[in-house]
Amino acid sequence: MTRLLERPLVHFGLAAATALVLPLVLRSGTLASEILIYGLAAAACNLLLGYTGLLSFGQGIFFGLGSYAAGLLLLRAGWPAVAMLPAVALVGAATAAGVGWLSIRRQGVYFVMLTLAFSQLFYFLSYTFSDLTGGDNGLLNVPRPRLGGQALADPWAYYAFVAVLFLALFAALQRVALSTFGRTLLAIRDNEARASAIGFPVRAFKVAAFAISGAVTALAGALHAMLIGVAPLSNIEYHTSETLLIMTIIGGAGNLFASVLGAAFYLVAGDLLSAIWPRWLLLLGALLVAIALFMQRGLWGLIERAAARLAREPRPDADASADATLPEESRP
Amino acid sequence: MTAASHTAEPALAADGLGVRYGSFVALKDVTLRVHANSVHAIIGPNGAGKTTLFHALTGRVRPASGRITLGGRDITRTRDDDRVRLGLARSFQVTSLFATLSVRENLRLAAQGRTPWAALAPWRRVPDRDAALDTADALLARLDLAGVAGRPAGELSHGQQRRLEVGMAMAARPRVILLDEPTSGMGTDDIGAMTDLIRDLGRDHTVLFIEHNMGIVMNISDTVTVMRAGEVLVEGRPAEVRDDPEVRRAYLGNMITGDLR
Amino acid sequence: MTYLFQILNGIGLGMLYFLLAVGLSIIFGLLQFVNFAHGAFYMLGAYLAYTMVEGGVSFWLALPLAFLAVGALAALTEAVLLRRIYAQAHTFHILATVGLALAVQEIVIIVWGPIGGNLAPPDSLSGVVILGDFIYPEYRLFVIALTAVLAGGLWWLLEGTRLGAIVRAGSESPETMGLLGYDTRRINTAVFGLGAGLAGLAGALAAPIRGVDPFMSVEALSVAFVVVVVGGMGSYAGALAAGLAVGIAQSLMATLWPEGARLMIYLGMAAVIVTMPRGLFGRA
Repeated sequence: MTRLLERPLVHFGLAAATALVLPLVLRSGTLASEILIYGLAAAACNLLLGYTGLLSFGQGIFFGLGSYAAGLLLLRAGWPAVAMLPAVALVGAATAAGVGWLSIRRQGVYFVMLTLAFSQLFYFLSYTFSDLTGGDNGLLNVPRPRLGGQALADPWAYYAFVAVLFLALFAALQRVALSTFGRTLLAIRDNEARASAIGFPVRAFKVAAFAISGAVTALAGALHAMLIGVAPLSNIEYHTSETLLIMTIIGGAGNLFASVLGAAFYLVAGDLLSAIWPRWLLLLGALLVAIALFMQRGLWGLIERAAARLAREPRPDADASADATLPEESRP
Repeated sequence: MTAASHTAEPALAADGLGVRYGSFVALKDVTLRVHANSVHAIIGPNGAGKTTLFHALTGRVRPASGRITLGGRDITRTRDDDRVRLGLARSFQVTSLFATLSVRENLRLAAQGRTPWAALAPWRRVPDRDAALDTADALLARLDLAGVAGRPAGELSHGQQRRLEVGMAMAARPRVILLDEPTSGMGTDDIGAMTDLIRDLGRDHTVLFIEHNMGIVMNISDTVTVMRAGEVLVEGRPAEVRDDPEVRRAYLGNMITGDLR
Repeated sequence: MTYLFQILNGIGLGMLYFLLAVGLSIIFGLLQFVNFAHGAFYMLGAYLAYTMVEGGVSFWLALPLAFLAVGALAALTEAVLLRRIYAQAHTFHILATVGLALAVQEIVIIVWGPIGGNLAPPDSLSGVVILGDFIYPEYRLFVIALTAVLAGGLWWLLEGTRLGAIVRAGSESPETMGLLGYDTRRINTAVFGLGAGLAGLAGALAAPIRGVDPFMSVEALSVAFVVVVVGGMGSYAGALAAGLAVGIAQSLMATLWPEGARLMIYLGMAAVIVTMPRGLFGRA
């Protein structure tokens, strides 16, 4: 059971199941789309935090830029969505490579502070160049993609579009995590000095991780702009960076599906609680403190613990199955 | 320098090497010749600059003055990860592993470090069988770690971790291998195996190692360099160094307890 | 002449930034703890001063009270909560203090509402001074004078007293402090309270200049980060120089390109990072 939870195929299955189950349990197609969109962005954040050991407070930059780039390309340039999406991914990757390259010049807490300062930089850029971004109002009337001559106006029709992209990008992120590249990222996370001492150009790997994370985050931002019909200033604000990071940590670092779980938890709890009490973020603040104290592996850690407990009772020797992708050798 | 014949070309050399930390002079004018396929020990009291010398040789710190050559090639300004590709690898005094990754994965990564740009491929899966994995598996057997290959490196015993630490340097298949106190903190049983391993390494590699255990130093070294206060005090064959009056007075005293006696 | 005016403005602003950043800096120096709630303490200081003055308390009393109240609250938070997290990775320091900042922000909205407010400078300082060709608000001169005195006092505290020596020794090696027989826990709490209190005081001093609102904390936090990134964490001189540089740069830009003034802070930081990766006074 515990071994099962480590299998990548199981994680992809869980992601697919989430995409299928959301329409059955939620009444709002918008909320369901948001869960997948933020889940994707949180998973991209996790590639940096959980796999590379980089706590980036700048994910909102890429999310917001993705929204703006989508809005500008669709509205001003009149591009169709199929052409817009790859372009947005490129914008996200290039920006993230630049921000990453600058930020990793400092390490540890300085790195974190730099990413936060860069998120302010991009916020003020967007605020200042309001001709391009619409300033406080944002870019209005961002259209939904058209399929067979018809815009996906129905929330659930758009949800289907989001879900397909979500699964494709989730699979791509998984592929990255399992690649030689992803395995090297884990080494850098564990011990950067040693990774460098055995010959890896650590900076290049970190910048590449940033670029991939930025591309996926920007795509999520584009999907979000098409969902709400606006590319708002708030998407590039500090709070978006903060929210993405919180979702990632609530779900559990170092596990891509956990980020989807974290996003779902955050959004559903927010949806329920904000209806009762607009100041529900106070509870969230308390929850974050509690996670830091008692639940450092997040929701996924809870699931693993529960699974371990379940597994212990019926089958004590459940360890026999070797994992297909991680090199495991049974002890003699 | 130009007249030197090819056979006398040292595998690794430092000329007039100086390192400063702020105003503190950690290394002063150190000149060192490490000959190919030899086992070369560096000894000296704490604070003599031994580890700083390693940091400078491997590119972890920038020297303030002097020149480093690897097989005749100037590497003074070469980045640390590039030096690995040129055939220079090291182990650390304080064990430095990828603690959450398996032992086999630690060695695979270290072997992959020789061709790191090939790993910068986010779409390429780790193959079931490749040169890096073969190297890792061969090392697992040689270091007697096959039984714990799947365990996270952080869970190994101290002796096992020290062996893996040396194995990480070996995995890059370097021409010159630098070992920083390979036996530090080891029990007597493990020390014997480590001594054999270092002696063995001297056959197909060039080994430069820092060591406090004089028994090992005197037994397996071809050359011994004694350092003190950031400078080279004496260099020579083990017996010469042991009998050097200045070394005795300055540092060794009664510490020589090696089998040579 | 307008430049001189703006430079004077920038010094006032820069000294406030210094006060804010030096608190963050000494907390990190001693405790190796990144306090993402630092901006929240700044905001609390501003709101407390605002409320006290609205309620009829003299501004002169409100200033020290804001410092003491925020410092005490922060010390309490440290003693009850944060010290349990020190042993963990920085990620969890950040997570816990981000949570704390979020909670403070919501509490501020609950208590004072989401709009914010304005605080007039005290009557005795509401006038202007005529300096040659230009006029300058008295309150801003007062801020410069007071922060200069405080900077001197802090320098004395950190360089000239036993507490300062302990703090410096503690940031070098925490073990020594315990070995020397100091009660590290009480010192940690006191230093945390002092650092946060300084943020609160900076907030109280800034309130008559910029007003109060529930989102002032994020701005303050990121400016403090810029200052310590540029000046170097744990460095008094770095915080002072970088604080002034940021304040003056921002002020000068306000005349040249008003919309881009705050943008310049961050562009300037990026330029420093490119040219001097370790910052102006960087060691680490």
